[in-house]
Amino acid sequence: MTNAISPLVAVNDVSMIYRTRAPNGEALETVALKNANLEINQGEFISLIGPSGCGKTTLLRLLADLIQPTSGSIGIGGKTPQQAREARAYGYVFQAPALFDWRTVMGNVMLPLEIMGYNLADRKARAENMLALVGLEKFSKNFPWQLSGGMQQRVSIARALAFEPQLLFMDEPFGALDEITRENLNLELLRLWRETGKTIIFVTHSIPEAVFLSTRVVVMTPRPGKIEKIVNVDLPHPRDFDTRESPRFFEIATEIRESLRHGHGYEGNE
Amino acid sequence: MTRSRNFVPMLVVGVVLIALYFPIMLLANYPAAARALQRGAVLECKTALECSFDMRSPIIPAPAQLLIGFSSLYFPPTSETSVPYNAFFTGLETLSGLLLASIVGLGLSVLLVASRAFERALLPWLVASQTVPIIAIAPMLAVLLGQYGVEGWIPKAIIAAYIAFFPIAIGVSKGLRSPDPIQVDLMKTYNAGSLQTFAKLRFPSSIPYLFTAFKVSVTAALIGAIISESATISGAGLGKMLSENSRASDAVGLWLVMIGSAILGILLVSIVGWLERVVTPWQRNH
Amino acid sequence: MATKPLNVLLFGTAGVFISLLGMILVIANHWNSSEVWSGLSVVLSCVLALVGLLGVGGVSSGVVSLLVAPRAKDKTGFDLGLSMISLLPAILLAVVAVVLVEALIHAFQIPVAQIPAPTAVIQKFLESRQVLWRDTQTTLLEAGIGYVIGASLGILMAILVSRYQFLNKGLMPYATIFSSIPIVALAPVIVKAAGLEWGSKAAVVAITIFFPVLVNTARGLLEVNPLTIDLMRSYAADPRRVFLDLRIPNALPYIFNALKISTTLALIGAIVAEFFGSTGSGLGFRILVETGQASFDSVWAAINIASFLGIVFYNLAALLERRVTGWHVSFRE
Repeated sequence: MTNAISPLVAVNDVSMIYRTRAPNGEALETVALKNANLEINQGEFISLIGPSGCGKTTLLRLLADLIQPTSGSIGIGGKTPQQAREARAYGYVFQAPALFDWRTVMGNVMLPLEIMGYNLADRKARAENMLALVGLEKFSKNFPWQLSGGMQQRVSIARALAFEPQLLFMDEPFGALDEITRENLNLELLRLWRETGKTIIFVTHSIPEAVFLSTRVVVMTPRPGKIEKIVNVDLPHPRDFDTRESPRFFEIATEIRESLRHGHGYEGNE
Repeated sequence: MTRSRNFVPMLVVGVVLIALYFPIMLLANYPAAARALQRGAVLECKTALECSFDMRSPIIPAPAQLLIGFSSLYFPPTSETSVPYNAFFTGLETLSGLLLASIVGLGLSVLLVASRAFERALLPWLVASQTVPIIAIAPMLAVLLGQYGVEGWIPKAIIAAYIAFFPIAIGVSKGLRSPDPIQVDLMKTYNAGSLQTFAKLRFPSSIPYLFTAFKVSVTAALIGAIISESATISGAGLGKMLSENSRASDAVGLWLVMIGSAILGILLVSIVGWLERVVTPWQRNH
Repeated sequence: MATKPLNVLLFGTAGVFISLLGMILVIANHWNSSEVWSGLSVVLSCVLALVGLLGVGGVSSGVVSLLVAPRAKDKTGFDLGLSMISLLPAILLAVVAVVLVEALIHAFQIPVAQIPAPTAVIQKFLESRQVLWRDTQTTLLEAGIGYVIGASLGILMAILVSRYQFLNKGLMPYATIFSSIPIVALAPVIVKAAGLEWGSKAAVVAITIFFPVLVNTARGLLEVNPLTIDLMRSYAADPRRVFLDLRIPNALPYIFNALKISTTLALIGAIVAEFFGSTGSGLGFRILVETGQASFDSVWAAINIASFLGIVFYNLAALLERRVTGWHVSFRE
């Protein structure tokens, strides 16, 4: 996978500090992310894992130019995050489906294409393709509320893929779903990734999910949010339900769990 | 709400209410009828009880009187003195008032949402206006508009709009702010301009709020239209009929106009409900 | 949405200057040769006045943003002083609007029979304060008595409705229908039937607010979380306990919401009913009679009193709500 000469995503010593004021007027500093360094190559599936407050969502939002870092620099395919956003270089899947209630499933998938000025025939063809890819072609005329939570999240993935970005950011997309639905969607996502060859950066708080999906897992710890360790996942592809029961799977999961715990101990030293 | 399960109880309650009408009517009319007999008025009826059903100016009209009045005041519906004809104009004024109010309300809400300065200076007054009996301004506004030569149905529509405007402006500005922050972020990841964000996200999310405001303000707008009709006594409308009948002390007429206004009110509310279903098919509760 | 306070301040000041300059020009022109310009200058100065108002809004909210913004970032930081400061732009806007209206009316010599100047309204208010005070008392009596009766009957009926399923099914559909009937149509009939005294107006008020109170209270009593009912059942609580400990507390926020809405409705009901007959006092009566004589200064005085009553009445209900249901979600920041 690491055949590209320069990394697709380069995070250089990035910090994010929020300055707020307490009710009594005292200045507060929250270090959401401290001196993060990370390089991601074309075609990788990277998971960011850690407890809440470890800065994993912050890092993703920084990459997407939804917020700007306090210090450090980020490069995405040789561009700044802002240039990348303006060039519509990535798709973003949020924690919630964030579908527009007033649009049908089809209309939701066509939304980014409308904004980016594709013509109608093109929009339809692409949206139909994407819905087929996530297995929802039969529901194209339904409104979002008529779909289950898992189906809604699949629509939002189809929407993110609609304009065929090479890079996909996913922020705990399956966090609100039940375990069974989640495992099925994991399998589907993995198939999508293999078929399309995209680079995916995936935020999660589930260790099995991270191990199952990723080529590498970035373990993050809170207070201050930082990258604790990067774990290589050398499980063979294609992965299926049996992968989750292999001894190697447990070894890697244990390694991640231990480094998470190590990071947790940091809290006591503070 | 299953209509069939409610039908029998609704029927029973309806029958009880109608049955209660007779004793209440007698209770109201009997003393007046007795007094009229005592004064030795020349009447066709003999006893006070009989007269209670047949007074020229009853306190509460008897059902038979209402029926007779109904045939003369509701038919033919195209007659200029009939209730349906006048109700049509009042309804038209109210609906055009609502339309006007939503256009102006939408414009103001856009400004409120776009500019913090505007919001800070205006929103408190808009909110306070909700607790003020705005209707009090209607008679004066009607006369004033008449002085400037604005006549016919337009001043009534303007007054209806004025009354409906405040809830609509507040509702729509709430609606324009209602999108989830992640939906706004989503538009940002598409590098969508603020015009696109408005057209594709903010405006559609405000429409359900617009209809909620409509439901609150349609009856108020109707009241405004009727009041301004009765204040100017020009043109057509239920308000004109009300003040004419009120001046002539025609109780039967008043009752029939009241029934007409009630039907118009219910009709307008259902029109708004129907419009909502047509315009916002995505809403779950339809 | 997040315009920078300094920019707002700048634009606001510019707006004020432009409008002041324009106004001076327009008014000067008006005094020099009123014939040709008058129509146009009225329109022009209205537009300029609007720009000026925007400017005031901009300046004052810019100041407020600069003063408040660093502290207001944290929502829990809102205290009384802060909220007074944030009301400043609105108050300033009103003051400037009143002054502008006054100036425009004098500049164009608009007669009282069209739009009275604010000072004329205040003068009228002071002159006829005794008459207006009597009117206020009458309207307050009608609205107050009607409010108490209508609200109590509404709550009582809602308790019956929550107790008997039959009533719920048979009566509530009517109640929803009745609430879409305009009270103007009801008022003349009731005034005709119950006489010109204050009692008839109180009756109109009572009927007006009966339905919203009934509908809201019934909803509060009936829409109880089924899990809490199961909980009460697990305690083997009798129906009386369920009612007192569960249904009533659950309904309180709904009841107060209805009571708040009803304050405005009560005043509207009383004023509208007075339009259709009274014994010669009441704010609605005053508004109608003075409108007929085109003495709009009196009308405005009465309208202002009615608005003031509305705000006071509403805030009393809101205060009571805060006292009784301070635990409710809607009061958390």
